[in-house]
Amino acid sequence: MIGSVFLETLKTTWKQMVYWGVGLAAMALLVVIMVPLFNMQDMRKLLESFPPVILAMIGVGSELEIFATNEGFVAIGFFGKSALIFAVYPVVMGMRVTANEEDSGTMDVLLSLPVERARVVIEKFLAYGVSCIGVVLLIYLGLHLGVFLGGVELDVLRLAEVTFYLIPLMVFIMAATVLIAVLARRRTVALGIVTAFVIASYMLQTIGLAAEGTVAESIGVVSFLTYYNAGDILSQGFIWPHIAGFVLVSAVLVAASLYRYERRDIGV
Amino acid sequence: MATESVIEISGLSKTYGSGSKQTLALNRLDLSVRRGEIFGYLGPNGAGKTTTIRLLLDLIRPSAGSASIFGMDIRADSVEIHRRIGFLPGELSLWEGRTGDQIIHYVASVRGDTRGIAKHADELAERLDLDKTKRVRDLSSGNKRKLGLVIAMMHSPELLILDEPTGGLDPLVQQTFHDMMEEYRAKGKTVFLSSHVLSEVQAICDRVGILRDGELKAVESVEKITNVEFNWVDVTFRDAVPAGLQQQLDNMPSITDVSTNGTRVRMRMIGDFDPLLRAISGGYVEMLHVEEPSLEEIFLAFYSGDEEKLQ
Repeated sequence: MIGSVFLETLKTTWKQMVYWGVGLAAMALLVVIMVPLFNMQDMRKLLESFPPVILAMIGVGSELEIFATNEGFVAIGFFGKSALIFAVYPVVMGMRVTANEEDSGTMDVLLSLPVERARVVIEKFLAYGVSCIGVVLLIYLGLHLGVFLGGVELDVLRLAEVTFYLIPLMVFIMAATVLIAVLARRRTVALGIVTAFVIASYMLQTIGLAAEGTVAESIGVVSFLTYYNAGDILSQGFIWPHIAGFVLVSAVLVAASLYRYERRDIGV
Repeated sequence: MATESVIEISGLSKTYGSGSKQTLALNRLDLSVRRGEIFGYLGPNGAGKTTTIRLLLDLIRPSAGSASIFGMDIRADSVEIHRRIGFLPGELSLWEGRTGDQIIHYVASVRGDTRGIAKHADELAERLDLDKTKRVRDLSSGNKRKLGLVIAMMHSPELLILDEPTGGLDPLVQQTFHDMMEEYRAKGKTVFLSSHVLSEVQAICDRVGILRDGELKAVESVEKITNVEFNWVDVTFRDAVPAGLQQQLDNMPSITDVSTNGTRVRMRMIGDFDPLLRAISGGYVEMLHVEEPSLEEIFLAFYSGDEEKLQ
Protein backbone atom coordinates (compact mmCIF):
# COMPACT_ATOMS: atom_id res chain seq x y z
CA MET A 1 0.00 0.00 0.00
CA ILE A 2 1.35 3.40 -0.95
CA GLY A 3 2.48 5.37 2.09
CA SER A 4 2.95 2.39 4.39
CA VAL A 5 6.76 2.67 4.40
CA PHE A 6 6.42 6.43 4.90
CA LEU A 7 4.10 6.00 7.90
CA GLU A 8 6.18 3.25 9.48
CA THR A 9 9.31 5.36 9.09
CA LEU A 10 7.60 8.29 10.79
CA LYS A 11 6.39 6.02 13.59
CA THR A 12 9.90 4.75 14.25
CA THR A 13 11.54 8.19 13.96
CA TRP A 14 9.38 10.61 15.89
CA LYS A 15 11.13 9.99 19.20
CA GLN A 16 14.58 10.73 17.73
CA MET A 17 13.09 13.79 16.06
CA VAL A 18 11.82 15.03 19.42
CA TYR A 19 15.12 14.30 21.19
CA TRP A 20 17.15 16.12 18.54
CA GLY A 21 14.63 18.94 18.24
CA VAL A 22 14.48 19.50 22.00
CA GLY A 23 18.27 19.40 22.26
CA LEU A 24 18.77 21.95 19.50
CA ALA A 25 15.88 24.05 20.81
CA ALA A 26 17.58 24.12 24.22
CA MET A 27 20.75 25.40 22.54
CA ALA A 28 18.73 28.09 20.76
CA LEU A 29 17.01 29.00 24.00
CA LEU A 30 20.36 29.34 25.75
CA VAL A 31 21.74 31.67 23.08
CA VAL A 32 18.60 33.83 23.26
CA ILE A 33 18.76 34.05 27.05
CA MET A 34 22.41 35.11 26.77
CA VAL A 35 21.58 38.11 24.54
CA PRO A 36 21.07 40.64 27.41
CA LEU A 37 24.48 39.74 28.81
CA PHE A 38 26.20 41.33 25.84
CA ASN A 39 26.46 44.96 24.79
CA MET A 40 26.23 44.61 21.05
CA GLN A 41 28.21 47.76 20.26
CA ASP A 42 31.07 46.64 22.53
CA MET A 43 30.85 43.26 20.88
CA ARG A 44 31.14 44.88 17.48
CA LYS A 45 34.26 46.82 18.50
CA LEU A 46 35.79 43.65 19.89
CA LEU A 47 35.06 41.73 16.72
CA GLU A 48 36.45 44.52 14.53
CA SER A 49 39.79 43.94 16.22
CA PHE A 50 39.80 40.28 15.11
CA PRO A 51 41.51 39.21 11.87
CA PRO A 52 39.09 37.95 9.16
CA VAL A 53 40.24 34.36 9.54
CA ILE A 54 39.18 34.29 13.19
CA LEU A 55 35.85 35.91 12.33
CA ALA A 56 35.33 33.33 9.63
CA MET A 57 36.09 30.52 12.04
CA ILE A 58 33.44 31.72 14.47
CA GLY A 59 30.99 32.13 11.60
CA VAL A 60 30.77 35.92 11.50
CA GLY A 61 32.35 36.77 8.17
CA SER A 62 31.96 40.41 7.26
CA GLU A 63 28.46 40.88 8.73
CA LEU A 64 29.56 42.99 11.69
CA GLU A 65 26.64 45.42 11.25
CA ILE A 66 24.18 42.60 11.51
CA PHE A 67 26.01 40.99 14.36
CA ALA A 68 25.60 44.16 16.40
CA THR A 69 21.84 43.55 16.70
CA ASN A 70 20.11 41.08 19.00
CA GLU A 71 18.72 39.14 16.02
CA GLY A 72 22.15 39.12 14.38
CA PHE A 73 23.78 37.83 17.54
CA VAL A 74 21.36 34.90 17.65
CA ALA A 75 21.48 34.33 13.88
CA ILE A 76 25.24 34.15 13.73
CA GLY A 77 25.92 32.98 17.28
CA PHE A 78 23.54 30.05 17.01
CA PHE A 79 22.66 29.32 13.37
CA GLY A 80 25.99 30.38 11.87
CA LYS A 81 28.13 28.65 14.45
CA SER A 82 26.12 25.45 14.68
CA ALA A 83 26.16 24.52 11.00
CA LEU A 84 28.10 21.31 11.70
CA ILE A 85 25.67 20.32 14.45
CA PHE A 86 22.70 20.85 12.12
CA ALA A 87 24.42 18.54 9.63
CA VAL A 88 24.49 15.59 12.04
CA TYR A 89 20.74 14.93 12.13
CA PRO A 90 20.23 14.70 8.34
CA VAL A 91 23.35 12.51 8.08
CA VAL A 92 21.94 10.14 10.70
CA MET A 93 18.57 10.06 8.92
CA GLY A 94 20.15 9.75 5.47
CA MET A 95 22.05 6.67 6.63
CA ARG A 96 18.76 5.13 7.65
CA VAL A 97 17.24 5.34 4.18
CA THR A 98 19.25 2.39 2.85
CA ALA A 99 22.57 1.82 4.61
CA ASN A 100 21.37 0.93 8.11
CA GLU A 101 18.67 -1.45 6.88
CA GLU A 102 21.05 -3.12 4.46
CA ASP A 103 23.69 -3.55 7.13
CA SER A 104 21.23 -4.99 9.63
CA GLY A 105 19.56 -7.23 7.04
CA THR A 106 16.02 -5.86 7.45
CA MET A 107 16.14 -4.55 3.88
CA ASP A 108 15.98 -8.16 2.65
CA VAL A 109 12.68 -8.63 4.47
CA LEU A 110 11.30 -5.30 3.26
CA LEU A 111 12.26 -5.81 -0.38
CA SER A 112 10.83 -9.33 -0.40
CA LEU A 113 7.42 -7.63 -0.05
CA PRO A 114 5.53 -6.23 -3.04
CA VAL A 115 7.26 -2.87 -3.02
CA GLU A 116 9.65 -1.28 -5.52
CA ARG A 117 13.10 -0.27 -4.37
CA ALA A 118 12.44 3.27 -5.59
CA ARG A 119 9.28 3.49 -3.50
CA VAL A 120 11.14 2.41 -0.37
CA VAL A 121 13.82 5.05 -0.93
CA ILE A 122 11.35 7.83 -1.77
CA GLU A 123 8.93 7.12 1.08
CA LYS A 124 11.72 6.86 3.63
CA PHE A 125 13.37 10.00 2.29
CA LEU A 126 10.10 11.91 2.54
CA ALA A 127 9.47 10.66 6.07
CA TYR A 128 12.91 11.69 7.23
CA GLY A 129 12.42 14.99 5.41
CA VAL A 130 9.27 15.53 7.48
CA SER A 131 11.25 14.72 10.62
CA CYS A 132 13.81 17.38 9.62
CA ILE A 133 10.94 19.88 9.41
CA GLY A 134 9.85 18.75 12.87
CA VAL A 135 13.32 19.39 14.26
CA VAL A 136 13.40 22.86 12.69
CA LEU A 137 9.95 23.69 14.11
CA LEU A 138 11.15 22.70 17.57
CA ILE A 139 14.22 24.92 17.17
CA TYR A 140 11.94 27.83 16.25
CA LEU A 141 9.84 27.03 19.30
CA GLY A 142 13.04 27.16 21.38
CA LEU A 143 13.70 30.72 20.16
CA HIS A 144 10.19 31.78 21.20
CA LEU A 145 10.58 30.08 24.55
CA GLY A 146 13.92 31.87 25.10
CA VAL A 147 12.27 35.22 24.46
CA PHE A 148 9.41 34.33 26.80
CA LEU A 149 11.59 33.01 29.62
CA GLY A 150 14.41 35.55 29.33
CA GLY A 151 12.25 38.56 28.58
CA VAL A 152 14.63 39.30 25.71
CA GLU A 153 13.92 41.99 23.19
CA LEU A 154 14.13 39.98 20.03
CA ASP A 155 12.16 40.00 16.78
CA VAL A 156 11.71 36.24 16.43
CA LEU A 157 9.78 36.65 13.19
CA ARG A 158 12.96 38.05 11.61
CA LEU A 159 14.72 34.86 12.68
CA ALA A 160 12.03 32.68 11.11
CA GLU A 161 13.73 32.90 7.72
CA VAL A 162 17.11 31.91 9.13
CA THR A 163 15.44 29.04 10.98
CA PHE A 164 13.33 27.66 8.15
CA TYR A 165 16.21 28.06 5.72
CA LEU A 166 17.63 25.07 7.61
CA ILE A 167 15.07 22.82 5.93
CA PRO A 168 16.52 22.91 2.38
CA LEU A 169 20.02 22.70 3.89
CA MET A 170 19.13 19.57 5.89
CA VAL A 171 17.31 18.00 2.96
CA PHE A 172 20.38 18.57 0.80
CA ILE A 173 22.69 16.96 3.37
CA MET A 174 20.31 14.02 3.66
CA ALA A 175 20.15 13.60 -0.12
CA ALA A 176 23.96 13.67 -0.34
CA THR A 177 24.15 11.08 2.46
CA VAL A 178 21.66 8.81 0.70
CA LEU A 179 23.66 8.90 -2.54
CA ILE A 180 26.96 8.26 -0.77
CA ALA A 181 25.38 5.36 1.15
CA VAL A 182 23.95 3.88 -2.04
CA LEU A 183 27.32 4.13 -3.78
CA ALA A 184 29.48 3.02 -0.86
CA ARG A 185 27.15 0.15 0.18
CA ARG A 186 28.81 -0.38 3.57
CA ARG A 187 27.46 1.76 6.38
CA THR A 188 30.82 2.46 7.99
CA VAL A 189 32.43 3.43 4.68
CA ALA A 190 29.49 5.67 3.81
CA LEU A 191 29.59 7.33 7.20
CA GLY A 192 33.29 8.04 6.82
CA ILE A 193 32.83 9.58 3.39
CA VAL A 194 29.85 11.71 4.48
CA THR A 195 31.74 12.97 7.53
CA ALA A 196 34.73 13.88 5.37
CA PHE A 197 32.39 15.62 2.90
CA VAL A 198 30.74 17.76 5.61
CA ILE A 199 34.00 18.67 7.35
CA ALA A 200 35.71 19.48 4.03
CA SER A 201 32.74 21.70 3.11
CA TYR A 202 33.02 23.47 6.47
CA MET A 203 36.75 24.05 5.96
CA LEU A 204 36.28 25.31 2.41
CA GLN A 205 33.57 27.70 3.59
CA THR A 206 35.85 28.96 6.36
CA ILE A 207 38.74 29.47 3.92
CA GLY A 208 36.42 31.26 1.50
CA LEU A 209 35.16 33.61 4.21
CA ALA A 210 38.63 34.23 5.64
CA ALA A 211 40.01 35.07 2.22
CA GLU A 212 37.22 37.45 1.28
CA GLY A 213 38.31 39.81 -1.47
CA THR A 214 41.10 37.52 -2.65
CA VAL A 215 41.30 34.76 -5.27
CA ALA A 216 40.96 32.16 -2.54
CA GLU A 217 37.46 33.44 -1.80
CA SER A 218 36.21 31.41 -4.76
CA ILE A 219 37.13 28.20 -2.91
CA GLY A 220 34.12 28.77 -0.71
CA VAL A 221 31.81 28.52 -3.73
CA VAL A 222 32.16 24.73 -3.79
CA SER A 223 31.06 24.39 -0.16
CA PHE A 224 27.32 23.88 0.31
CA LEU A 225 27.56 25.69 3.66
CA THR A 226 28.41 28.90 1.80
CA TYR A 227 24.78 28.92 0.66
CA TYR A 228 23.54 28.88 4.22
CA ASN A 229 24.90 32.15 5.56
CA ALA A 230 22.89 33.29 8.57
CA GLY A 231 24.01 36.90 8.24
CA ASP A 232 23.07 37.10 4.54
CA ILE A 233 19.67 35.50 5.22
CA LEU A 234 18.96 37.91 8.05
CA SER A 235 19.78 40.91 5.89
CA GLN A 236 18.30 39.68 2.59
CA GLY A 237 15.57 37.26 3.66
CA PHE A 238 15.10 34.01 1.75
CA ILE A 239 17.71 33.88 -0.98
CA TRP A 240 15.57 32.05 -3.49
CA PRO A 241 18.29 31.13 -6.00
CA HIS A 242 20.18 29.40 -3.19
CA ILE A 243 17.04 27.62 -1.98
CA ALA A 244 16.23 26.56 -5.53
CA GLY A 245 19.81 25.35 -5.85
CA PHE A 246 19.50 23.21 -2.72
CA VAL A 247 16.17 21.76 -3.91
CA LEU A 248 17.43 21.10 -7.43
CA VAL A 249 20.70 19.51 -6.35
CA SER A 250 18.84 17.42 -3.75
CA ALA A 251 16.47 16.19 -6.45
CA VAL A 252 19.41 15.28 -8.69
CA LEU A 253 21.14 13.45 -5.82
CA VAL A 254 17.98 11.49 -4.98
CA ALA A 255 17.43 10.66 -8.66
CA ALA A 256 21.03 9.44 -8.93
CA SER A 257 20.51 7.35 -5.77
CA LEU A 258 17.37 5.77 -7.22
CA TYR A 259 19.14 5.02 -10.51
CA ARG A 260 22.04 3.31 -8.80
CA TYR A 261 19.99 1.56 -6.13
CA GLU A 262 17.69 0.08 -8.74
CA ARG A 263 20.64 -1.53 -10.48
CA ARG A 264 22.85 -2.82 -7.73
CA ASP A 265 22.81 -5.82 -5.39
CA ILE A 266 21.29 -5.37 -1.96
CA GLY A 267 23.42 -5.89 1.10
CA VAL A 268 26.44 -7.52 -0.51
CA MET B 1 -1.29 -29.25 -13.93
CA ALA B 2 0.85 -31.47 -11.70
CA THR B 3 4.02 -30.78 -13.69
CA GLU B 4 3.45 -27.08 -14.23
CA SER B 5 6.58 -25.17 -13.20
CA VAL B 6 6.34 -22.49 -10.59
CA ILE B 7 10.05 -21.69 -10.61
CA GLU B 8 12.00 -21.97 -13.84
CA ILE B 9 15.70 -21.19 -13.76
CA SER B 10 17.86 -21.19 -16.85
CA GLY B 11 21.63 -20.74 -16.95
CA LEU B 12 21.59 -18.55 -13.86
CA SER B 13 25.05 -17.42 -12.75
CA LYS B 14 26.30 -15.02 -10.16
CA THR B 15 29.79 -13.71 -9.58
CA TYR B 16 30.78 -11.40 -6.76
CA GLY B 17 33.63 -8.91 -6.89
CA SER B 18 35.71 -8.07 -9.90
CA GLY B 19 39.14 -8.72 -11.37
CA SER B 20 41.34 -11.06 -9.37
CA LYS B 21 38.88 -10.96 -6.44
CA GLN B 22 36.04 -12.33 -8.54
CA THR B 23 34.18 -15.25 -6.96
CA LEU B 24 31.79 -17.49 -8.82
CA ALA B 25 28.94 -18.13 -6.38
CA LEU B 26 26.55 -19.80 -8.80
CA ASN B 27 27.43 -21.41 -12.09
CA ARG B 28 24.85 -21.80 -14.89
CA LEU B 29 22.05 -23.15 -12.75
CA ASP B 30 19.18 -24.88 -14.53
CA LEU B 31 16.31 -25.88 -12.29
CA SER B 32 12.58 -26.34 -12.40
CA VAL B 33 10.29 -26.50 -9.37
CA ARG B 34 6.81 -27.88 -9.96
CA ARG B 35 3.55 -26.57 -8.62
CA GLY B 36 2.42 -28.35 -5.45
CA GLU B 37 5.76 -29.83 -4.47
CA ILE B 38 8.06 -29.21 -1.56
CA PHE B 39 11.49 -28.85 -3.05
CA GLY B 40 14.53 -29.18 -0.84
CA TYR B 41 17.54 -27.19 -1.92
CA LEU B 42 20.51 -28.79 -0.28
CA GLY B 43 24.17 -28.22 0.02
CA PRO B 44 26.93 -27.36 2.45
CA ASN B 45 27.54 -23.82 3.65
CA GLY B 46 28.81 -21.62 0.84
CA ALA B 47 27.40 -23.88 -1.89
CA GLY B 48 25.25 -21.09 -3.33
CA LYS B 49 21.85 -21.80 -1.78
CA THR B 50 21.31 -18.34 -0.34
CA THR B 51 22.67 -16.74 -3.51
CA THR B 52 20.04 -18.61 -5.53
CA ILE B 53 17.29 -17.52 -3.18
CA ARG B 54 18.40 -13.88 -3.19
CA LEU B 55 18.52 -13.96 -6.99
CA LEU B 56 14.97 -15.34 -7.12
CA LEU B 57 13.84 -12.51 -4.84
CA ASP B 58 15.57 -9.89 -7.01
CA LEU B 59 17.69 -8.79 -4.06
CA ILE B 60 20.80 -9.41 -6.13
CA ARG B 61 21.13 -9.37 -9.90
CA PRO B 62 22.36 -12.28 -12.00
CA SER B 63 25.64 -12.10 -13.89
CA ALA B 64 24.10 -14.33 -16.57
CA GLY B 65 20.99 -16.37 -17.22
CA SER B 66 17.38 -15.81 -16.29
CA ALA B 67 14.65 -17.08 -14.02
CA SER B 68 10.91 -16.85 -13.79
CA ILE B 69 8.36 -17.43 -11.06
CA PHE B 70 4.72 -18.07 -11.99
CA GLY B 71 5.88 -17.48 -15.59
CA MET B 72 6.95 -13.93 -14.77
CA ASP B 73 10.47 -12.58 -15.02
CA ILE B 74 12.10 -12.24 -11.59
CA ARG B 75 13.44 -8.78 -12.42
CA ALA B 76 10.76 -7.14 -14.53
CA ASP B 77 7.82 -8.49 -12.52
CA SER B 78 9.36 -8.66 -9.06
CA VAL B 79 6.59 -6.69 -7.33
CA GLU B 80 3.82 -8.91 -8.71
CA ILE B 81 5.85 -12.02 -7.85
CA HIS B 82 6.49 -10.79 -4.30
CA ARG B 83 2.75 -10.31 -3.86
CA ARG B 84 2.31 -14.06 -4.32
CA ILE B 85 5.27 -15.41 -2.37
CA GLY B 86 6.38 -15.59 1.24
CA PHE B 87 10.03 -15.45 2.21
CA LEU B 88 12.04 -16.38 5.28
CA PRO B 89 15.73 -15.41 5.12
CA GLY B 90 18.38 -17.71 6.53
CA GLU B 91 19.83 -14.98 8.70
CA LEU B 92 16.64 -13.29 9.75
CA SER B 93 16.93 -9.68 10.83
CA LEU B 94 13.86 -7.80 11.98
CA TRP B 95 13.33 -4.31 13.33
CA GLU B 96 14.70 -4.73 16.86
CA GLY B 97 12.72 -1.99 18.58
CA ARG B 98 9.32 -3.09 17.23
CA THR B 99 7.02 -5.72 18.68
CA GLY B 100 5.89 -8.75 16.73
CA ASP B 101 2.43 -7.22 16.37
CA GLN B 102 3.86 -3.96 15.02
CA ILE B 103 6.02 -5.76 12.48
CA ILE B 104 3.13 -7.94 11.37
CA HIS B 105 0.99 -4.85 10.94
CA TYR B 106 3.75 -3.09 8.99
CA VAL B 107 4.32 -6.02 6.64
CA ALA B 108 0.56 -6.46 6.20
CA SER B 109 0.14 -2.78 5.38
CA VAL B 110 2.88 -2.96 2.73
CA ARG B 111 1.01 -5.95 1.33
CA GLY B 112 -2.12 -3.81 1.33
CA ASP B 113 -4.36 -5.92 3.54
CA THR B 114 -4.06 -5.40 7.25
CA ARG B 115 -7.28 -6.99 8.45
CA GLY B 116 -7.31 -10.35 6.66
CA ILE B 117 -3.59 -10.93 7.00
CA ALA B 118 -3.51 -9.99 10.68
CA LYS B 119 -6.26 -12.52 11.43
CA HIS B 120 -4.30 -15.32 9.78
CA ALA B 121 -1.14 -14.10 11.53
CA ASP B 122 -2.92 -14.54 14.87
CA GLU B 123 -3.78 -18.14 13.98
CA LEU B 124 -0.23 -18.90 12.89
CA ALA B 125 1.26 -17.28 15.99
CA GLU B 126 -1.00 -19.33 18.19
CA ARG B 127 -0.03 -22.52 16.43
CA LEU B 128 3.65 -21.73 16.73
CA ASP B 129 3.23 -20.55 20.32
CA LEU B 130 4.62 -17.10 19.60
CA ASP B 131 4.16 -14.10 21.87
CA LYS B 132 3.68 -11.24 19.38
CA THR B 133 3.54 -8.56 22.03
CA LYS B 134 7.28 -8.73 22.79
CA ARG B 135 9.84 -6.52 21.11
CA VAL B 136 12.09 -8.32 18.67
CA ARG B 137 15.16 -7.50 20.76
CA ASP B 138 13.57 -9.43 23.65
CA LEU B 139 12.84 -12.54 21.59
CA SER B 140 15.07 -15.62 21.58
CA SER B 141 16.48 -16.71 18.22
CA GLY B 142 13.86 -19.46 18.03
CA ASN B 143 11.02 -17.02 18.65
CA LYS B 144 12.44 -14.62 16.07
CA ARG B 145 12.38 -17.52 13.64
CA LYS B 146 8.72 -18.16 14.51
CA LEU B 147 7.92 -14.51 13.85
CA GLY B 148 9.74 -14.81 10.54
CA LEU B 149 7.60 -17.82 9.64
CA VAL B 150 4.42 -15.94 10.56
CA ILE B 151 5.47 -13.03 8.33
CA ALA B 152 6.30 -15.38 5.49
CA MET B 153 3.05 -17.33 5.71
CA MET B 154 0.43 -14.89 7.00
CA HIS B 155 -0.87 -13.92 3.55
CA SER B 156 -1.21 -17.57 2.47
CA PRO B 157 1.24 -17.26 -0.44
CA GLU B 158 1.20 -19.58 -3.41
CA LEU B 159 4.94 -20.10 -3.08
CA LEU B 160 7.04 -20.16 0.06
CA ILE B 161 10.77 -19.58 -0.21
CA LEU B 162 12.42 -20.57 3.04
CA ASP B 163 16.12 -20.41 3.77
CA GLU B 164 17.00 -22.85 6.58
CA PRO B 165 13.52 -22.49 8.10
CA THR B 166 13.86 -24.56 11.26
CA GLY B 167 17.23 -23.37 12.54
CA GLY B 168 16.83 -22.55 16.23
CA LEU B 169 13.33 -24.01 16.55
CA ASP B 170 12.70 -26.57 19.27
CA PRO B 171 11.63 -30.09 18.19
CA LEU B 172 7.95 -29.54 19.00
CA VAL B 173 7.77 -26.40 16.89
CA GLN B 174 9.73 -28.15 14.14
CA GLN B 175 7.02 -30.79 14.09
CA THR B 176 4.34 -28.08 13.88
CA PHE B 177 6.28 -26.55 11.01
CA HIS B 178 6.42 -29.92 9.23
CA ASP B 179 2.64 -30.26 9.67
CA MET B 180 2.17 -26.80 8.19
CA MET B 181 4.24 -27.77 5.18
CA GLU B 182 2.13 -30.89 4.70
CA GLU B 183 -0.97 -28.69 4.74
CA TYR B 184 0.62 -26.40 2.20
CA ARG B 185 1.28 -29.31 -0.11
CA ALA B 186 -2.27 -30.58 0.38
CA LYS B 187 -3.57 -27.20 -0.77
CA GLY B 188 -1.50 -27.45 -3.96
CA LYS B 189 0.93 -24.75 -2.91
CA THR B 190 4.65 -24.87 -3.52
CA VAL B 191 7.56 -24.68 -1.09
CA PHE B 192 11.18 -24.10 -1.99
CA LEU B 193 13.34 -24.58 1.05
CA SER B 194 17.03 -24.74 1.63
CA SER B 195 18.36 -26.95 4.34
CA HIS B 196 21.29 -28.98 5.46
CA VAL B 197 19.27 -31.11 7.88
CA LEU B 198 18.67 -34.51 6.33
CA SER B 199 15.85 -35.56 8.65
CA GLU B 200 13.93 -32.40 7.80
CA VAL B 201 14.35 -32.98 4.09
CA GLN B 202 13.29 -36.60 4.47
CA ALA B 203 10.25 -35.60 6.49
CA ILE B 204 8.76 -33.01 4.19
CA CYS B 205 10.38 -32.79 0.76
CA ASP B 206 9.27 -34.44 -2.47
CA ARG B 207 12.39 -33.71 -4.47
CA VAL B 208 15.79 -32.34 -3.66
CA GLY B 209 18.41 -30.45 -5.59
CA ILE B 210 21.98 -30.85 -4.43
CA LEU B 211 24.22 -27.88 -4.84
CA ARG B 212 27.95 -27.89 -4.40
CA ASP B 213 30.50 -25.18 -5.13
CA GLY B 214 27.87 -23.17 -6.97
CA GLU B 215 26.88 -26.02 -9.26
CA LEU B 216 23.75 -28.12 -9.19
CA LYS B 217 25.00 -31.69 -9.00
CA ALA B 218 21.69 -33.49 -9.06
CA VAL B 219 17.96 -33.26 -8.73
CA GLU B 220 16.44 -36.42 -7.33
CA SER B 221 13.44 -37.65 -5.46
CA VAL B 222 13.89 -37.82 -1.70
CA GLU B 223 13.39 -41.59 -1.75
CA LYS B 224 16.26 -42.09 -4.13
CA ILE B 225 18.66 -39.90 -2.25
CA THR B 226 17.83 -41.32 1.14
CA ASN B 227 18.08 -44.91 -0.09
CA VAL B 228 21.79 -44.57 0.38
CA GLU B 229 21.30 -43.46 3.92
CA PHE B 230 23.74 -44.76 6.47
CA ASN B 231 24.54 -43.95 10.06
CA TRP B 232 27.68 -43.45 12.04
CA VAL B 233 27.56 -45.71 15.09
CA ASP B 234 29.73 -45.26 18.17
CA VAL B 235 29.91 -48.10 20.68
CA THR B 236 31.67 -47.47 23.99
CA PHE B 237 32.47 -50.51 26.11
CA ARG B 238 32.89 -50.27 29.86
CA ASP B 239 35.93 -52.55 29.79
CA ALA B 240 38.01 -53.58 26.80
CA VAL B 241 36.67 -54.06 23.27
CA PRO B 242 35.65 -57.74 23.05
CA ALA B 243 38.22 -59.97 21.42
CA GLY B 244 37.41 -60.82 17.84
CA LEU B 245 34.92 -57.98 17.43
CA GLN B 246 37.04 -56.22 14.85
CA GLN B 247 37.12 -59.33 12.66
CA GLN B 248 33.38 -59.86 13.10
CA LEU B 249 32.66 -56.32 12.01
CA ASP B 250 35.04 -56.60 9.05
CA ASN B 251 33.03 -59.57 7.84
CA MET B 252 29.71 -57.73 7.97
CA PRO B 253 28.85 -56.22 4.55
CA SER B 254 26.63 -53.53 6.12
CA ILE B 255 29.51 -52.14 8.21
CA THR B 256 32.50 -50.22 6.91
CA ASP B 257 35.10 -47.73 8.07
CA VAL B 258 35.61 -49.34 11.46
CA SER B 259 38.01 -47.56 13.78
CA THR B 260 38.91 -48.27 17.40
CA ASN B 261 40.02 -45.76 19.99
CA GLY B 262 40.55 -47.31 23.41
CA THR B 263 37.22 -48.78 24.50
CA ARG B 264 35.34 -46.95 21.75
CA VAL B 265 34.55 -48.39 18.31
CA ARG B 266 33.22 -46.21 15.50
CA MET B 267 31.77 -47.53 12.25
CA ARG B 268 29.60 -46.66 9.31
CA MET B 269 26.49 -48.82 9.06
CA ILE B 270 23.55 -49.27 6.73
CA GLY B 271 20.47 -51.41 7.18
CA ASP B 272 19.22 -53.14 10.30
CA PHE B 273 20.85 -52.88 13.69
CA ASP B 274 20.29 -56.48 14.73
CA PRO B 275 23.53 -57.96 13.30
CA LEU B 276 25.55 -55.25 15.02
CA LEU B 277 23.76 -55.72 18.34
CA ARG B 278 24.48 -59.43 18.22
CA ALA B 279 28.15 -58.75 17.41
CA ILE B 280 28.69 -56.39 20.33
CA SER B 281 26.75 -58.47 22.85
CA GLY B 282 30.01 -60.12 24.02
CA GLY B 283 30.99 -56.97 25.90
CA TYR B 284 29.39 -54.62 28.40
CA VAL B 285 28.08 -51.72 26.28
CA GLU B 286 28.28 -48.51 28.23
CA MET B 287 27.06 -46.23 25.48
CA LEU B 288 25.61 -46.59 21.98
CA HIS B 289 25.43 -43.47 19.92
CA VAL B 290 23.93 -43.24 16.44
CA GLU B 291 24.75 -40.20 14.35
CA GLU B 292 22.93 -39.14 11.20
CA PRO B 293 25.30 -38.58 8.27
CA SER B 294 25.69 -35.10 6.93
CA LEU B 295 24.16 -34.33 3.58
CA GLU B 296 27.66 -33.93 2.23
CA GLU B 297 28.38 -37.55 3.22
CA ILE B 298 25.12 -38.75 1.70
CA PHE B 299 25.94 -36.83 -1.40
CA LEU B 300 29.44 -38.28 -1.62
CA ALA B 301 28.10 -41.76 -1.05
CA PHE B 302 25.47 -41.28 -3.74
CA TYR B 303 27.75 -39.85 -6.38
CA SER B 304 31.08 -41.50 -5.68
CA GLY B 305 29.94 -44.97 -6.68
CA ASP B 306 29.33 -46.10 -3.13
CA GLU B 307 25.66 -46.43 -3.84
CA GLU B 308 25.91 -49.94 -5.18
CA LYS B 309 28.33 -50.92 -2.45
CA LEU B 310 25.94 -49.65 0.18
CA GLN B 311 22.93 -51.30 -1.38
